[in-house]
Amino acid sequence: MTPGPVLLEARHATQRFRLPNGQVLEALRDVSLSVCEHEVVALVGPSGCGKSTLLRLFAGLARPAEGTVEYRGRPLDGVLGAAAMVFQSFALLPWFTVTENVAMGLEARGVGGAARRDAVARAINLVGLDGFEQAYPKELSGGMKQRVGFARALAVAPEILLMDEPFGSLDPLTAENLRSQVVDLWRDQSTGVNTLVVVTHSVEEAVFLAGRIVVFGSHPGHVREVLVNPIPYPRQERTPEFEAMVDRLHAVLTATLLPEPAPAAPQRLIPFPRVHVSEVTGLLDHLLTRPDGKGHVFELAEDLGVDYDRMTAVVRGAEQLGWVTTPGEIVQLTLAGREVMAMDDSARKDALRARLKKHPLFGRIIAMLTESEGAVEDEEVLADITIYFPFIPADSLFQTIVEWGRYAELLDHDAAAGRLMLAEPVEGTSDIRAD
Amino acid sequence: MKPLRFPPVLTAPGIRRLGLADVAILCLVGGAIAALIAFAREFEAPFRQAVQIDVRPTALPRYTLYSLARGVIALVISYLFALGYGWAAAKSRAAERVLLPMLDILQSIPVLGFLPGLVLGLMSLFPTRNIGLELAAILMIFTAQAWNLAFSFYNSLKTLPDSLRDACKVAGWRASRTFWQLEVPAAAQGLVWNGMLSMAGGWFFLMVNEAFRLGDRDFRLPGVGSYMSVALDQGNVPAMALAILAMVTMIVCVDQLLWRPLVVWVEKFRLDETAGGEGGAPATSWVLEFLRHARLPRRAAQLRRRAYRTARRAARPFERPLAVAGPVILRAPRFAFEHRVARLIGAALLGAGVAVAALAGVWQLWLLLRHLGVREWGTLVGSAALTFTRVMGAVLVSTAWALPAGVVIGRSPRLARLLQPAIQVVASFPAPMLFPLVVLLFERAGVGLGLGAVALMVLAGQWYILFNVISAVAAIPEQLKDAANAFQLPRLARWRSLYLPAAFPALVTGWVTAAGGAWNGSIVAEYMEAGGTLRTTPGLGSLISDATAHANFPLLAGGIVLMSLMVVGWNRFVWRALAGWAQTRFGMAQ
Repeated sequence: MTPGPVLLEARHATQRFRLPNGQVLEALRDVSLSVCEHEVVALVGPSGCGKSTLLRLFAGLARPAEGTVEYRGRPLDGVLGAAAMVFQSFALLPWFTVTENVAMGLEARGVGGAARRDAVARAINLVGLDGFEQAYPKELSGGMKQRVGFARALAVAPEILLMDEPFGSLDPLTAENLRSQVVDLWRDQSTGVNTLVVVTHSVEEAVFLAGRIVVFGSHPGHVREVLVNPIPYPRQERTPEFEAMVDRLHAVLTATLLPEPAPAAPQRLIPFPRVHVSEVTGLLDHLLTRPDGKGHVFELAEDLGVDYDRMTAVVRGAEQLGWVTTPGEIVQLTLAGREVMAMDDSARKDALRARLKKHPLFGRIIAMLTESEGAVEDEEVLADITIYFPFIPADSLFQTIVEWGRYAELLDHDAAAGRLMLAEPVEGTSDIRAD
Repeated sequence: MKPLRFPPVLTAPGIRRLGLADVAILCLVGGAIAALIAFAREFEAPFRQAVQIDVRPTALPRYTLYSLARGVIALVISYLFALGYGWAAAKSRAAERVLLPMLDILQSIPVLGFLPGLVLGLMSLFPTRNIGLELAAILMIFTAQAWNLAFSFYNSLKTLPDSLRDACKVAGWRASRTFWQLEVPAAAQGLVWNGMLSMAGGWFFLMVNEAFRLGDRDFRLPGVGSYMSVALDQGNVPAMALAILAMVTMIVCVDQLLWRPLVVWVEKFRLDETAGGEGGAPATSWVLEFLRHARLPRRAAQLRRRAYRTARRAARPFERPLAVAGPVILRAPRFAFEHRVARLIGAALLGAGVAVAALAGVWQLWLLLRHLGVREWGTLVGSAALTFTRVMGAVLVSTAWALPAGVVIGRSPRLARLLQPAIQVVASFPAPMLFPLVVLLFERAGVGLGLGAVALMVLAGQWYILFNVISAVAAIPEQLKDAANAFQLPRLARWRSLYLPAAFPALVTGWVTAAGGAWNGSIVAEYMEAGGTLRTTPGLGSLISDATAHANFPLLAGGIVLMSLMVVGWNRFVWRALAGWAQTRFGMAQ
């Protein structure tokens, strides 16, 4: 199918949210993207890059703070009637039966009586839920629930199907099965659905479904790159062209997620990724087991059973501590990384302490603490973080700083008083042994 | 055996920070008190004979039904109020800023103080009939029922998952349909559990609401509460016993016929599916089983549907004008909310309105309070200190028995399952009806009302502590109990390191509510007429009651204002700090 005229178009859309702590988060900045008829568009990128926000703008569930969203050249006013939506959390009403859930959107579209019963029966039949008409959602498995979600969307015969990580909470087998059915539904002219927009976390899913893959960058969300995926439908995984496309998307994502450090400003303040100590040491441990202590970031993610988004955050953390380098998509254990893994616990803490003192962000906080005689109110640190990183939720970055600082015995935190302190130097462990 | 599920812990009043809005609202509320009382002073009632209460046992069923009807009408009004108030507070950030603190304060102040003004005001509207008095009684019950319902609905709305809202919007549902098919069902569980508590709370002042004296006027309504007070006046012990029996019967019947079936039915509206599957033995209700098997309800549903269709057909001629007017009506508020200038003007008008009303309230209050001399203020403050001591004593005594009892019941699912229905019924019984008996008992033992009042205030507040402790202990994760077993923690250590810390946050919530109940209870506990003799003991409660009896309005206003300030202040500064500390230190969330 060749893409037709433009259906949906976002022009210079910017969206902001006010967090409960008063911080304003810019979810999208100046995003322009169009979706054409007969097209499948996938939106991929790290979490917090605004891809779900864009989907909600397309659905008319929210209005952009700046810029416009148009359907067939006319600005959206309220919810877009030509679209239906499928949610990651299914979003079924627990007190409605399958039939009632599927019929949710029909009444507002003026479908009543026998026509409504037909539409519901057809949609239920399309997703293979016959026999479950009178069941309640809590009686169904996750895959069945999402089938209800699809049936509800298909019942209104929408022109556009918007999907927000539709397979995200399903087990891999069920997800794969449902995924190919979605492609079948899209290719089947009788359903009326001719355009799909899908938000996904999975590279394979994007390559399997989409004709165009839009890669987002974060802080604030923006479009990094658009890939055209020319593989003809129906697509087969494990074919060379499929694998090649997956690799290409991996490369683009890596460039987005692990940008080469800008050489001009080495002392620029960079946020520390929100990862735990154990995650970074877990990564190093795993790298030690691999030949030459290196691996492809996506392979590592698969080996360790985390999504690539999380994996790259861990890699960035290790990189900032000088324990790995990332030439391209390869993660390489450094000499310092090997050394630190060979150390015992207390030597490792010493090494980390030395590293953190040189880290621009931790260095700044230590300087702040030293100036104030070793203790600062949490609020002051949070305000400081907010000024430097306006697009990152300050609370969680602060928690990460506290965790790493505590582990390195560099910082101490009094949660009750809300104060961050320099850790008192502990006079060895011999005192404890003497006890 | 699987654990039993317990009612959600009551939302405690006064856990929020004191803000400018609070001050404005305190002024407003104070003004309302003053205005009502001022209104009452102006009013000269024509002399009316008080309704004669028939103390023969045969009259009792009728009286009980009258009281029940008042309670149910008030509950219906409370639900309507809660839906509107909670919705407004959850939907508009500006409204939230005013409505939440207001709810908080309304929940904390002694509403009984409003009764004289309310009665006189409403009676002047309906001078020749009893309607004014009836309305006043219903409104007073309403003030004991509405606030926690509104809180519950607001909380449900705030915690509703965004994706469900989005799903309804994408389906093209109107706001009204989303309200009835998403928002209300999602809140149903909280609304039913809180309705149970509200109904129990509504009975608390039944005796006062149905029979009270203001100056030389005697106001009475036929009901089980007034029956009891007449029996008390006459010293008629069999009649007292009968009234108590009637009350217990009514409470058990309402529990079995209304609340049990509702509790079982709203299981259907659980949002979290996992808990529904393993949350323990499903509650059962014989009434609901009966209804489910009966044909009549199905027939009734058919008739209802048919009636609806007929009504729709009948309404068709009016639909066209409505269809034209509807969008205009709908667009006007949307314009007001969304247009920037309109919003600014609206906010300014609202702010100015609140400011003017607050100032007028303060002025009214001043007009009343300036009649009070230094000596009266001295008496007020001294009495407040006495009552405060009693309230704290009552909280202490309640904790002393309810905390261990709650832990013992909460950690044994079997015991909880056995005792819970009984406790619920006992807790619904209006404590003031037992006050006279307790006082007489204390007098036999040679204890005066000064100490006896503490016992009465314990009766008024203890259940909140018991319920909260039970539900907190029952909610301790199984694995923590397993760990305690695995490490063979001795009994004492187990209490010190597991049960008491786990129960502590809920205990604080219980204290807030129990102290509130004790303050309220002081009004009837420190001032009691039984068998023709009046017993009083110095305190803020007796001062308020005495001021009411002698129609001393400035003193009444002063007493209510002082009590409100003490309750709200203590909530904001002491309980709030304690609750925050308890949550960070002992909260289960990690």
